[in-house]
Amino acid sequence: MTAKRLRIIALLAISTVFLLAWAFPIVWSVMNSLKTDSDVLAYPPKLVFTPTWEAYRDVLFGSGSILPNLLSSVIISVGTTVVTMLMAVPAAYALARLRFRGKKFAGFYVLATQMLPPVGIIIPYFLVLRNIGWIDTYQGIILIYLSFSLPFAIWLLVSYFEDIPFEMEEAAYLDGASRLKTLWRIIIPQVRGGIAVTVVFVFLNAWNEFLFAVVLSGNTVRPVTVAMFNFVSVEQTLWAKLAAVSVLAMLPVVVLGVVAQKHIVKGLTVGAVKGGGRR
Amino acid sequence: MTTTAVTSAGIASEAPRSDFGRVLAQRERRFAAALLAPAFLALLATTTFPLLFLVYTSAFRMDLAMPFTNGFVGYENYQVLLSDERFWTSLLVSLVYTGSTVALQVIIGLALALLVMDLKRGQGWFRVIAILPVVLSPAVVGMIWRTFMLAPEFGIVDFLAINAGLGSKNWLGDPTLAMVSVIAIHTWQWTPFAFMVLLASLASLPEDIYEAARLDRASAWQRFRRITLPLLRPAIVMVIIMRTMVALTAFAAIFTVTAGGPGTATEILNLYAYRKSFTELSIGYGSALAVALLVVTIIISGILFAIRRAK
Repeated sequence: MTAKRLRIIALLAISTVFLLAWAFPIVWSVMNSLKTDSDVLAYPPKLVFTPTWEAYRDVLFGSGSILPNLLSSVIISVGTTVVTMLMAVPAAYALARLRFRGKKFAGFYVLATQMLPPVGIIIPYFLVLRNIGWIDTYQGIILIYLSFSLPFAIWLLVSYFEDIPFEMEEAAYLDGASRLKTLWRIIIPQVRGGIAVTVVFVFLNAWNEFLFAVVLSGNTVRPVTVAMFNFVSVEQTLWAKLAAVSVLAMLPVVVLGVVAQKHIVKGLTVGAVKGGGRR
Repeated sequence: MTTTAVTSAGIASEAPRSDFGRVLAQRERRFAAALLAPAFLALLATTTFPLLFLVYTSAFRMDLAMPFTNGFVGYENYQVLLSDERFWTSLLVSLVYTGSTVALQVIIGLALALLVMDLKRGQGWFRVIAILPVVLSPAVVGMIWRTFMLAPEFGIVDFLAINAGLGSKNWLGDPTLAMVSVIAIHTWQWTPFAFMVLLASLASLPEDIYEAARLDRASAWQRFRRITLPLLRPAIVMVIIMRTMVALTAFAAIFTVTAGGPGTATEILNLYAYRKSFTELSIGYGSALAVALLVVTIIISGILFAIRRAK
């Protein structure tokens, strides 16, 4: 009896340690974002302090506001999501439901594109975009984001399309509906949930991307993940402001992640069953 | 007309033989082509074309800082690469980083998944909190760790180290500690991934096998070794494959924390290719390094897929 009780206590202790380890850095950033710089730097670290919105006010409305950067992140992420979905939904439908030669190869090609290291894509792309003057433009960055968002979205959507019963389409054809009409009126409504989950993940990946953004960004297009660096320099770090910016950068993805909680394992392992995978 | 006849003969076993069926099958192919075209054109333009162009530029000296020396050099970049000590060091750093982070993620993730399966209550907490690190941008994660966690004295890790009697350490300035730090950060962020995937597969294992094992008086270790591990093997191998591919091309979480330093202590091959191309502006040699990274990725994934196929 006591051995069992000890076991339960040990289980709880280990669980608590891990939950704390994962939650703490995030909670700690939130706390630091509500401190003054001197409170951030206090030793020993302060768990109790008078919270202030000062850091948020400064980074949002002070000089060197990061509002344009947040807007940049939103434009890039929304743009990438819209373009990706417009291309991925039809492609995924074809791969999941239609018969044509080379289908296996097409599916394999989509997976294989994910093997390319991002640094191997950005070097040539940087040269091309520089030549046509697309560095520091939204179209340049959104175009290259398709290299990772498209394969991901296609495979995630294929898994949802495959779940719909074939009878629905056949019934529609027998009623004389065209293929396009059937896709639009019958099939798409069936996979609304899958499309929503895909949108969440594509947005999330675009919001979080860093390597392409750091190479292609400039004064016009500079997402918040890159702009964060303004707050850390060799001379000084603006601690509370950096914390505030980090929290603002985390907020949308944390909200989306918790909303899509039930689908997260599927979203993270998509394509893996068939063989590939990315970040 | 003849081509239509040939193609429909080719799939005759599937498609109905009537003329009507043939027309339908052809329409289906055309419809499929139209639906696939935009996505495949975009993928060709953003992945296949860059790959070909990358291989092409790797055969040039292309120095943005000194354009007058540019020109075709054949395989010279690769010759230089083979005798480049920094390349071999970065490859070693890549392998250490990838091997240790993946091993840690799988071991901790699996242990924790087994533990949480035994919890009667509180699984929900794990499901929510484990999501947090995974959805964050590695760039933000790196920034938080570099400052609020690892900064001397007031960084929490250093604070704990001081209180544990270890004294304040230069977590990111010492070559060994910097490597330990970037490995720990990657492990912190991605262990929840392994944990969630393995927990989901554990939950889907059939209960009755365990009942039978219990009736046969199999010990907990025997049950794990003989039942759980073999049944989980596909999921474990999948996690290993996915995490290896990612760790090999990790960028943001190292770039923001140490930028490869001190010196080249945490410079994985991926970061070396980036630094060569965009900091030192030697695009040609940087391309050769990126090609080398691709080759390494293909070799390692080839080995992993062979392991997956082997029973």
